[in-house]
Amino acid sequence: MAIRFDYLAKETGTNLVRNPSLTIAAVLTVAVSLALLGFSLVFREGVSRVSERWSDDVEFIVWMRPDATDDQIASVDQKLADNPLVTDHSYVNREATFAEFREYYADTPEIVETVEPAQLPTSYRVVPAASELAFVDSLGQEYEGQPGVSDVVFAGEFIKQLNAITGLAISGVTVVAAVAAVAALLLMYNTIRTAVFARRREVEVMKLVGATNWFVRIPFMLEGLVQGLIGAGLAVLAMFGVNRMIRDSQAASELDFINSFVLQPADLGPISLWLLAAGAAIGAIGSGFAVTRYLDA
Amino acid sequence: MIRLDDVTKTYSEGNVALRRANADIAKGEFVFLVGPSGSGKSTMLRLMNKSEEPDSGRIFVAGKDIGELSNWKVPMLRRNIGSIFQDYKLLPNKTVAENVSFALEVIGRPRAVIKTQVPQILDLVGIGDKADKQPHQLSGGEQQRVSIARAFVNRPLILLADEPTGNLDPQTAIGIMRLLDRINKTGTTVVMATHDAKIVDTMQRRVIQLDTGNIVRDEREASYG
Ligand SMILES: Nc1ncnc2c1ncn2[C@@H]1O[C@H](COP(=O)(O)OP(=O)(O)OP(=O)(O)O)[C@@H](O)[C@H]1O
Ligand SMILES: [Mg+2]
Repeated sequence: MAIRFDYLAKETGTNLVRNPSLTIAAVLTVAVSLALLGFSLVFREGVSRVSERWSDDVEFIVWMRPDATDDQIASVDQKLADNPLVTDHSYVNREATFAEFREYYADTPEIVETVEPAQLPTSYRVVPAASELAFVDSLGQEYEGQPGVSDVVFAGEFIKQLNAITGLAISGVTVVAAVAAVAALLLMYNTIRTAVFARRREVEVMKLVGATNWFVRIPFMLEGLVQGLIGAGLAVLAMFGVNRMIRDSQAASELDFINSFVLQPADLGPISLWLLAAGAAIGAIGSGFAVTRYLDA
Repeated sequence: MIRLDDVTKTYSEGNVALRRANADIAKGEFVFLVGPSGSGKSTMLRLMNKSEEPDSGRIFVAGKDIGELSNWKVPMLRRNIGSIFQDYKLLPNKTVAENVSFALEVIGRPRAVIKTQVPQILDLVGIGDKADKQPHQLSGGEQQRVSIARAFVNRPLILLADEPTGNLDPQTAIGIMRLLDRINKTGTTVVMATHDAKIVDTMQRRVIQLDTGNIVRDEREASYG
C-alpha cells in the first residue's frame, strides 16, 4: 500500500503544531535526556584524555648530588644511553634548573635571590620504554645507588592514583549515560503515549475506514522522529555551548588539565551524530510502540 | 451478503451478548436490528466488521468466512463496510471536506480521485455548501450526513448503522432515513440498529429482534414490536 508523500507531510506537520504543549514536552524530554547522555560522553572522553596525557609523560627524575663530579655525571649518562629500556633521557644542567626554579618562585623574588646556579643540583629526565608502574619502579631503582646520584623521584604514585580515579569516573559516567538513554526512551514512550491517547479517536476512525496498521503508525513514527531530531539538535547545541563555555572560562586558562575536557569539532562531530541518531531512533521507535497499543483494539 | 452461522459472543465478564445467532442477509437488503438496551444489537454489528471476534460460530461477509481472515486483511474488509454511529465519530479538528477525504487518503486513493469524489458525495448527502465548516458548526443531522458521506464515499457493499438517529429530533431523523433509503436503493446492504419504533413502522423492512442475546423474531416487511 502506498502512502502519499503529501498526505504524510501534511499529517505530520499539522499534528506537530496542533498539540504544541505535547510536542514541546516530547522535544524537551529528548533534549534533556540526550544532553545528559552527551555530557557524559564528553566527560568520558575528557577523563580518558587526562589520563592519557599523564600516562604519556610517565617518567622519573634522577637527581645528581650538587657536588657530583663530571665523571660521575658522564657515567650515569652513559648508563642511561646504553639501557634499552630507556626510550629517552635528557640532562637538565644548572642553568636550566635555575631557570625553572626562578619561574617556579616568580612570585617570591627574595627566595630566588638567595640561590646561585652553582648551588643547584642537576638532573636527568628519563622516559622509560613502557609505562607500567612496576616496570618504571624497578628501572628507576637501578640508578638509585649510582655514585653521584642523590635521589630518584617517580611520577608513579601520582599516576597510580590518577588512574584509579579516572577508572572510577569513567565507570560512573558510563552508568549515568546508560541511565540517561533508558530514561530518554521511557520518557519519550510516555509522552508519545499521551499524544496518541489524545488522538485515539482519530486512530479509531482510521481503523474503521480500513487503514492498515502501518498507515496509522507511520505518521506517528514520523512525528516522533521529527521531535526526536529536534530534541537531539537542542542537546547538540547545548553540548557545543557548554564546551565553548569551558574553553573560554577562567579555569581553563589557569588549570591546564581542564583543557582536556575541551573537545575539538572533530571529536564533537561523531558524538553529535550519535545523539541525532539516538534522538531519531528514540522518537520513531517510541512512537511506533506507543501507537501499537491502540491498533489491536 | 452477510451470514451469521450459530454465532455466540461472550464478553470477558461472562455475560452472553449474543447466543447462537443465525441470520442470512441478502445483497441489497435493508434490515433493522431492534430490542431493548443491552440485547446485543451493537455487538452483532461489531461482529460483522471484525471489530469483535465471536466465541463460536462463523460469520460470512460476501461469501468469505471473516474468522479466517488474517489480521492484515481486516482493513480490506473494512473498506467494503461503511459504519455510522449515534455519536457520528467525526474528527473535530478537521473540516467537513477533510473528514471525508481523510477516509479516502487513509486507504491510499490518489489525490485527483479525492478531489472529485468528495464534493460529489457531499452534494449527494445534501451538505455540499458546508464543506469548509468544522463539525461543531453543524447541527446533529448535518454531522450525521457528514459521517454518512465518509462511510459511503468509498461505495462500500455494506453499511452498518448503530442508532444513527439516536440523537436526532424526529424531523431530522426522517431526513437521515430518506438518505439511508437512497443509499440502500443503489444496491448497498444496510443493517441498522435502532430503538425508534416509528421509523421501523414507517419503513416496513425486515426486522431482526433481539432479547438478551437471543434472536426472538426475524420478519420481513415488519413493524417494530
Ligand atoms: N465491550 C464490552 N465489554 C463487556 N461487555 C460488553 C461490551 N459491550 C457490550 N457489552 C455487554 O454485552 C451486552 C450487549 O451489549 P450491546 O452493546 O450489544 O447491546 P445493545 O443492544 O447495542 O444495547 P443498546 O441499545 O443500549 O445500545 C450487554 O450486556 C453489554 O453490557
Ligand atoms: Mg448499542
